[in-house]
Amino acid sequence: MLVWLGHSGGGPPIAPIATAPGPVRGTLLASSADVDVGRLLLNRWVLTAAVCAVVATFVRADTQKPAQTPPTSPSAATAQAQARENRNAPELAEFKMRVAEYVALHEKLESTLPKLPKEGTPEQIDRHQRALGTLIGSSRQMAKQGDVFTQSAQVFIRALLKRLFVNVDHVKLRNTIQDENPWFVQVKVNGRYPDRVPLASMPPDVLKALPPLPEELEYRFVGDSLILLDVHAHIVVDLVPRALPA
Amino acid sequence: MPSALLRYCAVAAVVASCLSCATGPSASRVAGNAVQVAAPPVAAAPVSLPNRDGSLKFVVFGDFGTGERGQYELANQMAVLHQTFPFEMVATAGDNIYGSDRPQDFQRKFETPYKPLLDAGVKFYASLGNHDSREQRYYKLFNMDGKLYYSFKAPEQDVRFIALESTYLVPEQIEWLEETLKSAKEDWKIVYCHHPLYSSGGRHGSDLTLRAALEPLFIKYGVSVVFGGHDHIYERMKPQGGIQYFLTGSGGALRKGDYRRGQPFSERIVADQQVFLAAEIFKDEMVFNAISRTGEVVDSGVIARRQGD
Repeated sequence: MLVWLGHSGGGPPIAPIATAPGPVRGTLLASSADVDVGRLLLNRWVLTAAVCAVVATFVRADTQKPAQTPPTSPSAATAQAQARENRNAPELAEFKMRVAEYVALHEKLESTLPKLPKEGTPEQIDRHQRALGTLIGSSRQMAKQGDVFTQSAQVFIRALLKRLFVNVDHVKLRNTIQDENPWFVQVKVNGRYPDRVPLASMPPDVLKALPPLPEELEYRFVGDSLILLDVHAHIVVDLVPRALPA
Repeated sequence: MPSALLRYCAVAAVVASCLSCATGPSASRVAGNAVQVAAPPVAAAPVSLPNRDGSLKFVVFGDFGTGERGQYELANQMAVLHQTFPFEMVATAGDNIYGSDRPQDFQRKFETPYKPLLDAGVKFYASLGNHDSREQRYYKLFNMDGKLYYSFKAPEQDVRFIALESTYLVPEQIEWLEETLKSAKEDWKIVYCHHPLYSSGGRHGSDLTLRAALEPLFIKYGVSVVFGGHDHIYERMKPQGGIQYFLTGSGGALRKGDYRRGQPFSERIVADQQVFLAAEIFKDEMVFNAISRTGEVVDSGVIARRQGD
């Protein structure tokens, strides 16, 4: 158990209103000596209600108590089973094959470059990333949207995300995805992911539902598109437009 | 007094007390875009870092790689501190390099500002933020061993650090985290990552999907302290589920006055200048000082580790 032993720099705690009724009431009564007590109480009631309403709007929804146990409820188990089912859906078989083909190409081209050491310099990292991007771009000159995310996979993923947003707390999901999601950025297949654009966070529930990817690739949202990002080459492999439910 | 009135008073009092406790008396007040800094609190003297022989001394900060003046000035304060408090490592809470990360960016946004520390042999252990290229994991001076998430033991002390990749929490990472926490025999388990499970930050706030996924594991396996960034302020939370959370997102970038008042989990906020956190662990205690760009100790305290859960 963590025990808070003390702190400073924050000053003494401010006494909550409930513990200091005396001075507040005294001041009010002293300044309103000739006011009818009933009216005063009514005014205070109205004032308190108003303060309460205003204050409540500033208190956000994320005040829930910390979760005490991992999700083991029947609904969590159902969600996990659903996630497994999603990942193994026949509509995704072709997509998985295309991913495997892409990764094979990636590995083949990357093997022609000097191996990036685990303790590299910025020069080595930058050179490797850009060289790999160029090689992949040259080898996939004719690549277009939908080559990896096949038509059936796109339909399936859109529906999957739509279902997820119904079943899971969609406000939390959306907040995580929208957090610094680059809405005004255009990305294209084989194009470099823009250096100055942050990566939108992928909620664990979404990653759990989507088919797993090899280490070379990641899913990310750019606006409402789901993209497939080659993390070694920092390029966009493919995308599903309008993937994020409205 | 009518019972309805009593109920309203009680609710108002509880809500108001949450508000008053949340920010601490010296937090900035925001009016429109203007920032008004309240008068400094009448505070007790800061808790000093004991600077004991054999203790683990380290520094934590995030959201720093801007290459701008604020980052450099805070880095200078770290160098000044290091002369008297020789910390051996730095944990970064992500957003290590903003914008492009060409070699010259690594120079301007990392190697130059922290040169005195790097020259003194201080090791940086990075976690990645949403502004970081995934390939930073191969950068020698970030000591990530080519991994997006990893753990390491303190050189001599009984402390395990765990760096997570919070923008992409794949099921494999969660499984790895559980295995790592379960098998960790160290007294202290300290986790750091970019996205905060708790934050009063106005721009982002608490990451609730992350909290739902990680907090049960932190509680179950005896994590004592968690550091995050992402929101560009400093914040210390009230212990949540027995765990002490810090937000250390003003290591270079700063959003002045950008926080929501009245979060019930909040204990202390500094949102008017850049801040880094210096900490010292000796046996069962961690003493910390939050130090500002001007060298002022703006928050301090002592935390006891969680015992044998």
